[in-house]
Amino acid sequence: MSARYGMVIDLDRCTGCGACMVACAAENNVPPAPPSATPRTGLTPMLVHKVSNGLEGSAQREVFIPVTCMQCERETPCVGVCPQQAVEVDKATGIVMQIPQRCLGCRYCMTACPYHARYFNWWDPKWPEGMEKTLNPGVSTRMRGVVEKCNLCHARLHGAMEKAAAAGKKEIDPTDYVPACVEACPTGAIVFGNLADRNDPASRAADSPDAFRLLARLGTEPKIHYKSRQAWVRALAERGTSRSSEAKHV
Amino acid sequence: MSDLLLIDRRWIARGAARSSTLRFALWLAPWIFLLLLGIYAAGLCLYYGLNQTNMDNRFAFGMWIFLDLAIIAMGAGAFFTGFLVYILKQKDLKPVLNSAVVVGLTCYSGAVAVLMVDVGQPLRAWFTFWYPNTHSMLTEVTFCISCYLLVLILEYIPVVLRNRQLRKVPSFLVFEHQFHKLVPVLAGVGTFLSFFHQGSLGGLYGVLRGRPFAYRAGFAIWPSTFFLFLLSAIAVGPSFLMLVTATAEKVTGRQLVQPGVYRKLGFISGVLLAVYVAAKAVDTLVWLNITSPSVGFGPRDFYSYWPLSSTFLFAAIVPLGLLPAILLIAPVTARKRGWLLCGATLACCGVLLNRFVFTIQTLALPTLAFDEFLSYIPSWQEVATFGAVIAYGVIVYSLSYRYLPLFEEGKGAGQHVSLG
Amino acid sequence: MFPWVDGFHWTMGHIVFLSLFFAAVLVIGSTLVSALLWTASDFRSRRAAELCWRINFRELPEAERHCRHEFAGRAPSRVCDNAFDCRSCQNYAKYAALPGKDFSRNRGVHYSVNLLYHRGHTWVRPRGDGTCTIGLDEFASRLIGKPDTVDLPAKNTELVSDGVAWRMTKNGREIRVRAPLDGTVLSTGGPEHEWFLKIRPHEPLNLRHLLSGAEVSGWLAAELDRLQLQLSAPNSAPCLADGGTLMPDLMDAVPQADWDAVLAATFLES
Repeated sequence: MSARYGMVIDLDRCTGCGACMVACAAENNVPPAPPSATPRTGLTPMLVHKVSNGLEGSAQREVFIPVTCMQCERETPCVGVCPQQAVEVDKATGIVMQIPQRCLGCRYCMTACPYHARYFNWWDPKWPEGMEKTLNPGVSTRMRGVVEKCNLCHARLHGAMEKAAAAGKKEIDPTDYVPACVEACPTGAIVFGNLADRNDPASRAADSPDAFRLLARLGTEPKIHYKSRQAWVRALAERGTSRSSEAKHV
Repeated sequence: MSDLLLIDRRWIARGAARSSTLRFALWLAPWIFLLLLGIYAAGLCLYYGLNQTNMDNRFAFGMWIFLDLAIIAMGAGAFFTGFLVYILKQKDLKPVLNSAVVVGLTCYSGAVAVLMVDVGQPLRAWFTFWYPNTHSMLTEVTFCISCYLLVLILEYIPVVLRNRQLRKVPSFLVFEHQFHKLVPVLAGVGTFLSFFHQGSLGGLYGVLRGRPFAYRAGFAIWPSTFFLFLLSAIAVGPSFLMLVTATAEKVTGRQLVQPGVYRKLGFISGVLLAVYVAAKAVDTLVWLNITSPSVGFGPRDFYSYWPLSSTFLFAAIVPLGLLPAILLIAPVTARKRGWLLCGATLACCGVLLNRFVFTIQTLALPTLAFDEFLSYIPSWQEVATFGAVIAYGVIVYSLSYRYLPLFEEGKGAGQHVSLG
Repeated sequence: MFPWVDGFHWTMGHIVFLSLFFAAVLVIGSTLVSALLWTASDFRSRRAAELCWRINFRELPEAERHCRHEFAGRAPSRVCDNAFDCRSCQNYAKYAALPGKDFSRNRGVHYSVNLLYHRGHTWVRPRGDGTCTIGLDEFASRLIGKPDTVDLPAKNTELVSDGVAWRMTKNGREIRVRAPLDGTVLSTGGPEHEWFLKIRPHEPLNLRHLLSGAEVSGWLAAELDRLQLQLSAPNSAPCLADGGTLMPDLMDAVPQADWDAVLAATFLES
């Protein structure tokens, strides 16, 4: 049975601690940023944005929005544009896969992504002496000059599949496949699961009236949902509303 | 005439007046310097990585992509002149044909060279041929541009073989004569390939659903930008060729073509530009009123950010679109060389602006509600590489002018030769 | 690209795209291959040398392509349309039948009525035994003077009419002297000898394209006029001398002249 893995991120619970970003970097062997890196050249497959409602004084509100690859389902923008088919949607899981070894580094997919969820390796990856011991053996490192992005910790999915196969089962145990950001979140703001399964908690959360998706009007059908009881936060789904809000990265 | 100053006399066509070798070397020197500087900058990028540029995750495309689009649009004069001469039988444009081939060759080879530096992994360039994604406009561009570059090289070879010393080699002379008969075939293939890649370069942006500023509705798989980029390229190609020819005449101090050639190129350019302006106006209206609002974006999202305001849009259509079209067509201005060149310059600027807007403005504009409008200034390495491409074009053109029959100065070339 | 690549499947898009692309590549490739094959064929069938001469001829300035019949006074100003090859010219018989004018005034360069002259300034003397000797005419000899080097063809070399017979250099310039007829080189001479080459011409012997008699005078007169115009000082009005003899060793006497143009016009190089 094919799954559609996705997330629902409760923005009312996100404190902006950034643990998801750190866990993502650790899990995915993201190299430390060189001294000349800037927020715009850093490698952050999970990136938390701080957004204000633009009002002053006691009316000011802020929200933290973790943005990652939206795992778009419909006419996935980055898939159609890659000249050498280095991006594809895995039909079994719905995960948008990036093949770094095939990537030419033309960055067309980065231009295509409206969520700015793709990141380029502007430098050769280098770990300081001793730090290479912290590398995750399940995830290959990427070379300079290729694009990368969140792949819902695909290595952990592999681990879950191997475990299920070793136990002679056809289906994985959902508790075995938990992406690093979900695992690290101290408030449990990120609910991860199979959106194709009506009984999955993520699937049920996505059906909530408070749930929304970013730029849903573009029609890309992202599988990363957000949830908030605050109307002004839900309005951040589309442009044309709080243009005055300033976004800062955590 | 003293030939003590012309050390390379034997390489120059008989009877062709050329400046002294020293003067030519002095002309080339600054361009060679610029070229070397750019090669050094490109070398830095290849060695250290693209962190040498000021591109970043938001400005994934930068000055180099703008440069590529711009010079390929300018280089459209090569295929279009070939099309006009060989397919539409406009024989009076024949004198600029060789010059157009050189311009096209330097534009395309320069663009490909810059692309090899621009991509993160140049050695993987062949992957596009091995794993082509037929849905991607960039695949189409890669295939067509590679093929077309080959066509341009093959069209240039006969020009090179007509060098005074090279033609003394019998096999070169005979080969050039035989190959020359097939140039119309190459012109046809070149037209076919160019139609597709000029259009697909526009298609690159038009298909970006994630960037409503660039996204356009269209016909079948082709967004309107496919046709608009193609139209603007064939409109600006003859204009650019006019500017290059006029510059060559100014620098060499010689009349190289009949004045009627300018008028004709200008007229063709003007008419195509007028069609383009009309099409673009219609397209803009559709895009701003139907396509973008349907996904929640409107003019306010596109034009509220200084300096990329709606002035640019207006500028692209009227002063740099409609005005040059009028200057190039209206008899009162078209009969004067100065106005023709003014119109040509404005037309080129208009297309440059259009390519800039699609590359840079698309990426500068926010898409998410909490995005920022960002700016980007190219690094010196990017600028130096840009300069190197221009220098390369000037150097190749200068060498071709000096040693090859670019303008068929008074000889009976091109006439039929049969064996008695 | 290919069926064995992981995850590949043929779609109509692939078929259309790839077939268009390969069709274009095929057309491009075949133009190159065709041109190469035709070139090879020209060389194999020995048409290449004549083709080279004809291509070269059509690019000579019009002033250097005038018909011999004009020099003989048989025709008004006429430009040759057959690469000086009177042997295959359709109009030769028509003009040859007309009466000529006599230009026997010797305009400063000697020539002999016993020699046959090629437009590239060589002469041919058929010797009764089926061989011919070839030499450089007075005009060219006086122009060049004593050459710095002379590179003659080896014995048994095949000469092709209007191809290169031998090369010389003078003052750093290369001079390629055209062969006046087809033949096999029997022996070589040089500037110190009576002749440069002795050849056995190919059968059937046809020397119709060579000038002889009074028309040589008319031709040399035109050549001298051309020479004087080319040698006149750049900013002065052109003057033509009315008499006198051509100086020997002109290249040494007037080193600053445009020898490139003079030699090219004399030896029929475009």
